[in-house]
Amino acid sequence: MESTLSILFIQAIHGLVYGMLLFLVASGLTLVFGMMDVLNIAHAGFYMLGAYVGAAMLLSTGNFLLSLIVAPISMALVGAVVERYFLRRVHIHGHAFELLITFGVFYIIGETVKWIWGNFPRPVDVPGILSGAIPMFGTAYPVYRLFILFISFLVLVLMLYVFMKTRIGINIRAAVSDPYMVNALGINVPRLFLGVFSGGAALAGLAGVVASPVLSTYPGMGLDMMVDTFVVIVIGGFGSLFGAFVASLMIGELQCFGVHFIPRLALVFQFLLMAAVLIIMPTGLFGEKE
Amino acid sequence: MAILEVRDLYKDFSGLEVLFGVNLIVEPGERHAVIGPNGAGKSTVFNLITGKYKPSKGKILFKNQDITGFPPHKIARMGLTRSFQVTNIFRNMTVFENVRNAVLSKNMLRYNVLSYLSRMKGITRETEAILAQIDLLERKSELAGELAHGHQRALEIGLTMAMAPELILLDEPTAGMSAEETRSTVQLIDQITKGKTLVIVEHDMDVVFTIADRITVLYYGQILASGPPEEIRDDQKVKDAYLGEEEND
Amino acid sequence: MRHPATRSIVAISIAIILLFLAPFFLNILQTRMLIEIAYFSLFAVSYNFLFGYAGLLSFGHAAFFGLGAYTTAILMKTIGGMPLLLAMASGGIVAALGGVIIGFFCVRRKGAYFALLTLAFNQFLWAMAWKWRALTGGDDGIGDIVPDQPIHLGIVKLDLYELEPMYYLVMVIVLVFLGAGWYLTKSPFGNSVMAIKGNDERAAFLGYNVTRSKLFMFTFSSFYAGIAGSLFALFQDFVATSSIDLSMSTQVIFMAFLGGTGSYLGPILGSAIFVYFTDWISGLTDRWEFILGVLFIILVLFFREGFIGLIPAKLRSIFATGEAT
Repeated sequence: MESTLSILFIQAIHGLVYGMLLFLVASGLTLVFGMMDVLNIAHAGFYMLGAYVGAAMLLSTGNFLLSLIVAPISMALVGAVVERYFLRRVHIHGHAFELLITFGVFYIIGETVKWIWGNFPRPVDVPGILSGAIPMFGTAYPVYRLFILFISFLVLVLMLYVFMKTRIGINIRAAVSDPYMVNALGINVPRLFLGVFSGGAALAGLAGVVASPVLSTYPGMGLDMMVDTFVVIVIGGFGSLFGAFVASLMIGELQCFGVHFIPRLALVFQFLLMAAVLIIMPTGLFGEKE
Repeated sequence: MAILEVRDLYKDFSGLEVLFGVNLIVEPGERHAVIGPNGAGKSTVFNLITGKYKPSKGKILFKNQDITGFPPHKIARMGLTRSFQVTNIFRNMTVFENVRNAVLSKNMLRYNVLSYLSRMKGITRETEAILAQIDLLERKSELAGELAHGHQRALEIGLTMAMAPELILLDEPTAGMSAEETRSTVQLIDQITKGKTLVIVEHDMDVVFTIADRITVLYYGQILASGPPEEIRDDQKVKDAYLGEEEND
Repeated sequence: MRHPATRSIVAISIAIILLFLAPFFLNILQTRMLIEIAYFSLFAVSYNFLFGYAGLLSFGHAAFFGLGAYTTAILMKTIGGMPLLLAMASGGIVAALGGVIIGFFCVRRKGAYFALLTLAFNQFLWAMAWKWRALTGGDDGIGDIVPDQPIHLGIVKLDLYELEPMYYLVMVIVLVFLGAGWYLTKSPFGNSVMAIKGNDERAAFLGYNVTRSKLFMFTFSSFYAGIAGSLFALFQDFVATSSIDLSMSTQVIFMAFLGGTGSYLGPILGSAIFVYFTDWISGLTDRWEFILGVLFIILVLFFREGFIGLIPAKLRSIFATGEAT
C-alpha cells in the first residue's frame, strides 16, 4: 500500500527524470539560438531520429551500450550535414528562410521515420540489466529511470566542465553573448557554430535513445518534444542555458504531477503550461533575447 | 504654456544609469538645440520623449498632457514626431511610398479598406507636395534603400514632417553630411519648421548657433546649462566641459 | 497607366470566362481537381496575407482551415435543416474568432517565437479535435455533410450531389473572396500592413499601431482560411483530423511558396501546381509526402521566388496585381 508520501516522492523523481531529458534536448536548442538567432525546428527531429536509430540498433544487436553510442554519434553527423549544407546556405536570406528550411528538415525526418518504421507506436524494451526496481520511499522505483538520471547528470557535469574549464566552452559562451565580437577576435565562428549544432543534435539523439524504453517511439514524438522544448526556452529565456535548466526541471515536475493527479489533461497539459506562461510571464525568466 | 515639459527624468538600462534628473522646458515656436558629448544621453532623452522607452522616474508633458509611458504611435498621432540619427526609412519602398505612409497616417486612413489607394488623388497631391519641399519629387519612384546618403537624410526629415506635427524632434539631421549638404539641410529645416516647434540634437556647432534660439547642454545624463546661445557660448562650465573639447578636436 | 491595367482586366476576364466554361469541356476528374484548386487557392492566399503582406511566418495555419471545416461539418450534422450557406459562414466566423484569440497571443512576438507559437496553438487544436470524440468524431471524423435536399439561392436551386452545381457554388464563392482580398491589398489598410512589414519601428513612430494592424490582418487571414475549410468540408463531404494537422499546415506553406509569395497570384498558381502534382504523384507512390518534403527543401534552397519567379517579367506584368514584398 503506497502512502501519499511515497506517491509524492515517486512523482517528484519522475518529474526530475523527464526534466533532465527535456534539458538534454533543450540545451542544444537554446545554445544554437543564442549563438546565431536561429530556432532550429529540426532539433526535436534529432531527438526522434536518435530514438528510432537507437531502438533499431538495440533490436538488431541486443547491445544497449552500442545503441547508446551509435545514436548520438549518428545524430551529430546528421546535424553537421543539416547545418553545413542546408542551414548555412539560406542564412543570408534571412530568418524566415532559416525557419522554413529547418521546418522542412523536421518534416522530412518525420516522413523518413514513418517510411522506415511505420506510422504507429513501437515500444522499446528496457534492457535486461537495467530492468527491475529498487526499494525506495516505501515502495519500489524503476532502475531504468534512475539510469536515465545517472546518464543525464553525467552529461550535465560534462557540459559544466566544458563550458567552465575548456577553451572551446569559453569561446561558446562568448559567442552566445556577443557573436560579432567573437568573430573579430579571430575565432572561427562558423566552425564553432557547426560544433555546437552537431553537439546539440548528439545530445538530443542521446536523450531520444535513453528515453525510448520509457516514452516509447512513435511518429508524433518529435512534435511533442518540439512543443515541450519550445515552452522550456520561452520560460527559460531564449539563449539562456541556465534558464533552460531551471525551466526544464520546472516543466518536468509540473507535467508529471499534473498528469498524475488530473489524467484527463494528459494530452493538453503542455499547452496549458504554455498558455500560463504566455499570460503570466511572456518575457521568460532569464536572458531574454527575443 | 510650454509645449514640452520634461520633469526630473531618470533612466537606467538594467543597472546602467544614463539620465539623472533631466529637466527641460520648450516653449511653442522655439528652436531648441540639445548638445553634449557622445554618450551624454541626448538620443535617450529623445527616445523617452517619443515613447520608445519608459523612464525609470519622471514625467513628460506634451501640450500640458502627461504622455509618460505612452506608446510611440500614440505620441506621433498627438503631433509629436521625430527623425532618427541612423536613417530609419522604408528601404524596400519607393520615395513616394515612404512619404505616402506618413500622409496616410496623418489623414487617419490607416484602417481604410474601402478605397483604392493608387486612385486617391488627394493623398497623391499631399505626398507630392511634401516631396517637392524636400526636393525629392524627381526621385519619387526610386527605391529608398538605393538613395544616396544625403537624399536618405532628406527623406528621413520628410517623413517626420509629413505628419504635420506641432513639435518636431530631429536627431543629428546633418550627421555624415558634406558642408554643401549641411547648408541645404539647414535651409530645409528652417523652411519646414516655420510655425512649429523644433528640438534638435546636433554635434555641428555652426548648425546649432545658426538655428537655435535656445540651447540646452547635456553632460553625462545631467543638464549642465540651458539658455540663449550667447549665454551658453560664454558659460564657463560649458566651455570647460564641452565646447573647449570641441574646439580642441 | 491605362494600358497595363486594361491588359490585366482583359486577362483576368478571359480567365474567369474559361473557368465558367470549364465543366463543359473537362471530364469529371479534371472538374473535381479544379474545385480542389479553388478552395486551396483561397487557403494559400489567406496564408500569404500573413507572410507575403504582413511578414508573419505561421506554421499553424491549418488551425483556421480546420476550425472552418469542423464548424461547417458539425453544424450541418447536428442541426437538422441547417442552411448550408449559414453553416459555411459560421465556419468562417468561428475561424476568425480563433484568429482573434490566437492572434492576440502570437502577434506581439516576432520571427521564431511567433512561428512556434502558431505551431503550438495548431497542435493544441489538433489534440482537441482528436480527443473530443463527441464533438469531432475523433480520428473517425464527421461525414455526410452535403445536404440531401437541393439548396435554394433565390431563384436558383442547386443539387449539390451533382458536380456542376457544386463546381459553380465553390467557384463563385472563391472568386468573390479572392477579388475582395485583392482589393484589400490595394487599400490603405493593405499599405499599412506592408509598411509595417517593411519597417515596423518607423511605422510606429509614424502613428501606426503595429500590434493592432497585425491582429486585424491575422483575423482576416483566419477568416479566409475558415471559408476555405468550409468549402473543403462541403466538397469532400468528410472532415477529420487531417484538416487541422501539421501536414495541412505544411501543405499550405508549400502551396504559397511554390507559386511565389511575392505577389497576390503566386499562391493561386502554387495551389494549382500542388493539387495537380500531388494527384499525379500519389498515384505513383505511397511516399508522396516524403517527396513533398524533399521538394519543399529544394524550393527553399534554390527557388525562393516560386514558379512566378520563373515567368519572364513581361508575361508577369499582365497579371501584375501587386507586389507583396
